[in-house]
Amino acid sequence: MAISPLSNTWELSAQLEAIFEREIEKMETGVLLQGISFTYDLGLPQETQALSNINLEVRAGQHVAVLGHNGSGKSTLAHLINALLLPQEGNIVIFGREPSDDEAIWEIRCRSGMVFQNPDNQIIGTTLEEDVAFGPENLGLPQKELRQRVDFSLKQVGLAELAQRPPHTLSGGQKQKLAIAGILAMEPSCLILDEATAMLDPASRNDFMNLVLRLRAERELTVINITHNMEEVLMSDYIYVVHNGKIALHGTASDIFDQAELIRSMGLDVPVHIEIAGEIARLTDQPLQAAEAFSLVDAVKAVSRRLSDPPQLRAKLTMNEKAGRSLSPSLKEFTERKTLVRVRGLSYTYNPDLEQSVKALSDLSLDIYEGEFLGIAGHSGSGKSTFIQHLNGLIRPEPGVVEVMGLDVSVKKNIRKVREHLGLLFQYPEQQLFEETVAADIAFGPKQMGLSQAEIELRVREAAELTGLEPALLDRSPFDLSGGQMRRVAIAGILAMKPDILVLDEPTAGLDPAGRDELLDYIQRLQEKGQTIVMISHDMDQLAGLCDRILVLKDGAKYLLGTPSEIFEDEKAIVNAGLAMPRTKIFLEQLSKIDPSIRTDIFDPQEAAWELYGNYQAGGEV
Amino acid sequence: MAQQIVLGQYVPGSSFLHGLDPRTKLISAILLMILTLSSMSVVSLSVLALAVLSLMILSRLKIGLILRTIRPIILLLVFAFLFNLFTGKGEIIFSYSFIVIREDGLIRAIKILVRLVLLVLSTSILITLTTTPILIADAIENLLGPLKRLRFPVHEISMMMSIALRFIPTLLDEMQKIMKAQSSRGADYDTGNALKRARGFVSILVPLFISSFRRADDLATAMEARCYRGGKNRTRLKVMKYSRHDLLFAVMMILTTLTVYALPYAFPGL
Repeated sequence: MAISPLSNTWELSAQLEAIFEREIEKMETGVLLQGISFTYDLGLPQETQALSNINLEVRAGQHVAVLGHNGSGKSTLAHLINALLLPQEGNIVIFGREPSDDEAIWEIRCRSGMVFQNPDNQIIGTTLEEDVAFGPENLGLPQKELRQRVDFSLKQVGLAELAQRPPHTLSGGQKQKLAIAGILAMEPSCLILDEATAMLDPASRNDFMNLVLRLRAERELTVINITHNMEEVLMSDYIYVVHNGKIALHGTASDIFDQAELIRSMGLDVPVHIEIAGEIARLTDQPLQAAEAFSLVDAVKAVSRRLSDPPQLRAKLTMNEKAGRSLSPSLKEFTERKTLVRVRGLSYTYNPDLEQSVKALSDLSLDIYEGEFLGIAGHSGSGKSTFIQHLNGLIRPEPGVVEVMGLDVSVKKNIRKVREHLGLLFQYPEQQLFEETVAADIAFGPKQMGLSQAEIELRVREAAELTGLEPALLDRSPFDLSGGQMRRVAIAGILAMKPDILVLDEPTAGLDPAGRDELLDYIQRLQEKGQTIVMISHDMDQLAGLCDRILVLKDGAKYLLGTPSEIFEDEKAIVNAGLAMPRTKIFLEQLSKIDPSIRTDIFDPQEAAWELYGNYQAGGEV
Repeated sequence: MAQQIVLGQYVPGSSFLHGLDPRTKLISAILLMILTLSSMSVVSLSVLALAVLSLMILSRLKIGLILRTIRPIILLLVFAFLFNLFTGKGEIIFSYSFIVIREDGLIRAIKILVRLVLLVLSTSILITLTTTPILIADAIENLLGPLKRLRFPVHEISMMMSIALRFIPTLLDEMQKIMKAQSSRGADYDTGNALKRARGFVSILVPLFISSFRRADDLATAMEARCYRGGKNRTRLKVMKYSRHDLLFAVMMILTTLTVYALPYAFPGL
């Protein structure tokens, strides 16, 4: 039974796991790290140790996931395994070779290929074919063999037909597949994924991981996957958790997630079904047994077991805890509110004169109301980005009407005002920072508005406070900050213009779970202060949990529009739009098969647990 | 913006010229350049014009597309023409107040015009229009090969060229993204005085530089991870090979060269 595209992958991996589990025990050691320490020599007075006393063993053919927050040292670990860095202390053996001399280092790099995070920055060739050939060319293989390997590898990843295309014409997912082809052509034993799917949308991510699993099975590859993604973690046979440069935990997925609290405290995610089961276990005072809630089906069983036990009254549900949970979103009367943005009959076609014209938007109409949180979802290429660029006049509507605060966007003299009313923040906005200090960067927008110096300073301080940037940071260079902080500087730069509408394009892309949660927290606080927000996201849990309304685009047209409860009611439509269902809802749907009276329109795992437990306390039986 | 900037001028095709080895085309283009610059006589220039005309036919490109390559140098053409027109000695054929045109000047001006046009047309037909940038880079690497013995970093230069070619579209894309982001913050690149506009460009260039450095760093790591260690022992997927067509073309070029040099002796007056 397919719940969502993501669960397919999970099932596939479960099958593969069964095949491999029998054999892994027999396999030889592929990667061995003993007492490894590594310190970056940046010439700074106080050196920080990136890794200390790491012990790790990966058997040939094993699929290992490495988890850890940003800056935990997991990327350094990957670089060590590929001999891109050499440890200052400890022993390292990669497929029988120690990186002792140049020859051994090259041999290690040949045997383990690495896919990096940014798809663009690892493509060397000017055509796909040339890029795949790069590795084998370095190995000095004869031309005939080069040709064979290139053709075969491109075919393996399904890009054979595009062999002559320049790589910049590919999508992000295709680029990462190309990176895999480039590695396969070197006939490696081990594939290292260094957050390789972090910049991909869910559909491409799924596609990419299916390819990895298939190749692993066909070519008996060892896979080491460094990731934040829970679906990917559950595909692995074994997990290492890196925290502050040390291995904090290791074990099978069920070993690791039995310690859900500890994992959370390290700033990492826990799969939603394990979280709900864990919460119910806590509320009912019946701790989870080992691996009891590992799979979705098991977790549903674990929950229903606990809630159908003979009720023993427990005073767990104190008033304080009850007050702490958020209320489920109620239907708000939007139509009575002021309309801030009016979009009517908007269509847009890229390259209308050329034969390969692309219809990005067709006949889109929408109102955005004061104070609402509007989410926008859709598959890649569904027109989300094109749509928001119309809102502040970066693209002129033709045909169609876009009005922001009553100002027609197609009138050139309005554009300045429109951009003050509607603040637009693109993906990876930290890449637009350029000033010498954080304060100066935040002040850029207000300065362009021609405000007085005093007003600018006031706004900078306010915006910094709204995004949780401490005053001490204001005089630092934005380039000294962490990724999450830089992103908040960029958001502050928009907020300082005091826009009536804040538009965010995937604000959490590329952040680790802790950074993501922190940022979403600030965004939610903004909305509570009355800020109107429009947010594009690929993460349905995020949208369902935060938004008042969600617009689903499909092929440039309005496909669904409504409250989260409304739009996620129709699972078929959601899947049809190329999206996944929110994970909490998937869980509740499973549970409602046992007891149809269970509410399924809850999108926060904690809230779901409370609802289930409250239901049970009230005498209902699951 | 970036979408309108066409990268290189390569026009895909399968003509005789498209199929030639890039080295043949590169050497021929240099040869034609030397011939055009060194011949002054009318007969030589006519032969060269004939040669360029046959190149046009062999390339099977639309005539408008070829002539468009002259557009960027039109100003230079006009200037060179006028400069030569009003100088020189010999019989006056036209005069009006201070404007004096002499026969010698007119002939020279026309010849200069013809030579410049032939120069541009021959190089664009042979190289830019019918050869991909990467093949040009490969041809240069191959032809400079002997310099390796003199420790000239031929491989490194060619690798730099091809990486530059690979990243131009990526960086253009990025520039467009940054411009949009800064425009959303109220930056205005079209109005205001020179100083304000220059400051505007800082807001594009700084992020662009920073990201380029990061990309360079990432790319270097990615290249090392794929066992790159310079040009030593490296083989190539695409090996350039001379074909019969190249031989045929080379013979044509030699004949053209001989004719260009021999004809002025047959017609010394022209």
